[in-house]
Amino acid sequence: MSDQDTSRRRFLQAAGSATAAVALAGCSGNGGDPTEGTLTTSAGGDETQTTTSPEETTERPEPDTRDGFLQRANRHTHEQAPWVFLHRQYSVYGQSSDIEWQPRTDERVAAYAIEPATDAGDDVVMTQSQMDSGLDPQDHRETPTDNIVLQAYEGLLERDREGAIVETLATDYERLDETTVQFTVRDNVSFHSGDSLTPEDVAFSINRIVDSDVGIESPQVDQLIGVEGAEVASSDDRTVNVNLSGLNPIVFASFATYCDVMNKSWVESNDQAYINQNMDGTGPFELSNYEQGVAVEFQRNDDYWDDPAAISTFTINSASESSTRVNRLLSDETDIAVNVPPQEVSRVENSDDASISAVPSTRVIFNAMRYDVEPFDSPAFRRAVNHAVDLDSIIENVLQTFGSPTAQPTLEGFFGHNEDLDPYPRDLERAEELVEESGYAGAEIELVTPIGRYLKDVEIAQAVASQVDELSNVSATARQVEFSTLVSQVTTGNIEDKPDWYLLGWGNATFDAIQTIQPLLASDGALTSYKNDELDRLLDEAQSLPSESN
Amino acid sequence: MGYGRFLLKRGVQGVGVVWGVVTVVFILRFITPGSPIDTVAPLDASQETRQRIAEDLGLDQPLYVQYLDYLWELLQGNMGYSYISSIPASVQVFQKLPATLELAVAASVVAVVISIPLGVISATRRHQPADYAATSFSLLGISTPNFWLGIMLVLVFAVELNVFPTSGRAYGFMQSLAAITGPEPFFTVVTAWLASLFLPAITLGTYFTALITRLVRSGMLDELSEGYVRATRAKGLPETLVRYKHVLRNTLVPVVTVLGLQLGTLIGGAVITEAVFAWPGLGTEIIRAINARDWPILQGSLIVIGTGFVLLNIVVDALYAYLDPRVIAE
Repeated sequence: MSDQDTSRRRFLQAAGSATAAVALAGCSGNGGDPTEGTLTTSAGGDETQTTTSPEETTERPEPDTRDGFLQRANRHTHEQAPWVFLHRQYSVYGQSSDIEWQPRTDERVAAYAIEPATDAGDDVVMTQSQMDSGLDPQDHRETPTDNIVLQAYEGLLERDREGAIVETLATDYERLDETTVQFTVRDNVSFHSGDSLTPEDVAFSINRIVDSDVGIESPQVDQLIGVEGAEVASSDDRTVNVNLSGLNPIVFASFATYCDVMNKSWVESNDQAYINQNMDGTGPFELSNYEQGVAVEFQRNDDYWDDPAAISTFTINSASESSTRVNRLLSDETDIAVNVPPQEVSRVENSDDASISAVPSTRVIFNAMRYDVEPFDSPAFRRAVNHAVDLDSIIENVLQTFGSPTAQPTLEGFFGHNEDLDPYPRDLERAEELVEESGYAGAEIELVTPIGRYLKDVEIAQAVASQVDELSNVSATARQVEFSTLVSQVTTGNIEDKPDWYLLGWGNATFDAIQTIQPLLASDGALTSYKNDELDRLLDEAQSLPSESN
Repeated sequence: MGYGRFLLKRGVQGVGVVWGVVTVVFILRFITPGSPIDTVAPLDASQETRQRIAEDLGLDQPLYVQYLDYLWELLQGNMGYSYISSIPASVQVFQKLPATLELAVAASVVAVVISIPLGVISATRRHQPADYAATSFSLLGISTPNFWLGIMLVLVFAVELNVFPTSGRAYGFMQSLAAITGPEPFFTVVTAWLASLFLPAITLGTYFTALITRLVRSGMLDELSEGYVRATRAKGLPETLVRYKHVLRNTLVPVVTVLGLQLGTLIGGAVITEAVFAWPGLGTEIIRAINARDWPILQGSLIVIGTGFVLLNIVVDALYAYLDPRVIAE
């Protein structure tokens, strides 16, 4: 085995939350147990494809780029249909007319992007569904806390509103070799405490996430998977080298989403409880008041290294009830109401002083079907279920148009998205034929859905089950469970513990296909419901190539 | 049995009840689906990461070890640390307690201020329109779910009329007191405090207003038929004096008892009202802790509420025993 094979294996063992070694036999395109059905997947999703029908196959040349392999992987999943492909969830905000602001795809609300439209818009309040889980930027991984810490903390890289990677505390970044990338740290940047930002702070911040001996058991460790550690390369040149366990094609995408930079001396001189209640970042706002679980108040950092923010203060509070958030907006008590559900949209739209802003999010909603149990072990049956679902109706009637249909795991605009795939059309006749073909006519199936975890999850599951139940040769029902119950079943690492058919949502903040397909559909994915050597091979090939996007 | 021994007995019983609460609350976490690891770790966290988090939180220890550790720490006044924020649970719980106490007391005040005059009017004008109105009100108050009432009050008085804030707690009682000497205008602070408290207090207090109205009415009717009332009237005392000095005073004894015990219910039962009004109290904290499986916070909150209940009961028992020594003999 070559060195290159070894390093690729090492990265793959870790990538995308992998929990077990990937069988490198998959690299050669064969080997492993033939667990899937008879449909050939040699037709790949790339520039040369000629058809989008899962039933028709066309030989295509092997891709030679990472993008090509990921597109081919998406085509594979479309054809093999391990999911009922549902929709891309939208982020819906209620917005006061006192401010000018446009929401971002990654659901992060940066106050730096808010501009006052009136005098009242200088002091902005945002109400989200819950408060932070502490102010340590490296000790969480959920959007409500992200929205709070990102006002005061910054990473080396970040994403602009459209999702493109831009420099923040790094002025340059490059790949030195397969296992090393280098960041040049911005000069003349100060923390809110007055300390200057140094390369040591950057190296410490990275190590604090990936090495629990340096810092904490960070829940972001799996997001910097493949990062072994960081060290200052040159204090004079302000460069920091990050060591990788193998070629990590999405390393810069990961750093654009995770790893806020902290002040080393400040962290080392305070305990974890203090760090969770105070902030010392370099961001455009500094913490002025923190009432745990109630509100976080920021004031503009006038010494910010870039142009100062347009607004003076930014306050974030919470209301778990969506009606309360909307009431606050309509009563001019808040300027941004996060997560406005469809049933509340008309109240906002009817108001003179507020409006609705919606943007496609990074979250895909789907129904996973376990490949190893009847009747879902038949690709024909899985495609039949996809043909039975009326996505347009669900999006229009349940989500009131705040969603868009999907045909593959990777969302539009993400690296590796295959533009040639269309959602399965509703075709009950074809669905019934496929069921007969699968040999599972008369099957009784049950869709397990969490309650209230995703927007209208129960209603969506009921609609899906009801539409599938319309098939003359399949009976379908929906069953509701607590999200925690579902989580305890899908996170054990054993596919046998999962329900046969379940609704789940997946947010991918790295804008790269691998972070969706690897954990959810690769044989060794932490949450996988599927196993297929061809898909593993495609992912393996993709991860062995550098990413054209970063 | 002497009074001191009676109190000691009640105290020992109280400790036993609190220990029972601690144990039940601790066991609940193991029979409830879901794990705090699922909240702390991302969905796609590796099994190794989950194991490290479990070790970090002490969840890899056997049940009895976790229980004994928890009891030992509790005896030293340590409720543990939030799994989510690493902040001491006692800090988090006691930070939220004043808001809930404030709401419970305000709801009790609402209940007393409205229910006693209403009950008196209802009893003294029996079978008259005022009585029918009062009994209808109490029936309505008992039957109305407080989450619905809260939402309606917000829609009418906050969103439409813009008289009160929709939700949240502008200031606390202590902040209002501090405003006397503080930089912010006292009147502004107190007004904002009372305005944010008004609708939640009405929402939480309506059920108890209705309950106490009925209690006062039936108590007054019972007392009005007593012989001493006829005697005082025969003596020529003015009717107002008969009603308010003699009858009402006797009626209030069970009302005060009920109020005392209901205060505990209000503290524990404010969860829904706090959710509707985004009131930053213990109820909101309990919901957050349940959703996040943040057991140290949930345990701490329930233990504080349970202990409060026990203390209130002991105080009521002690008062009873003081007022009626026959209780001690029984």
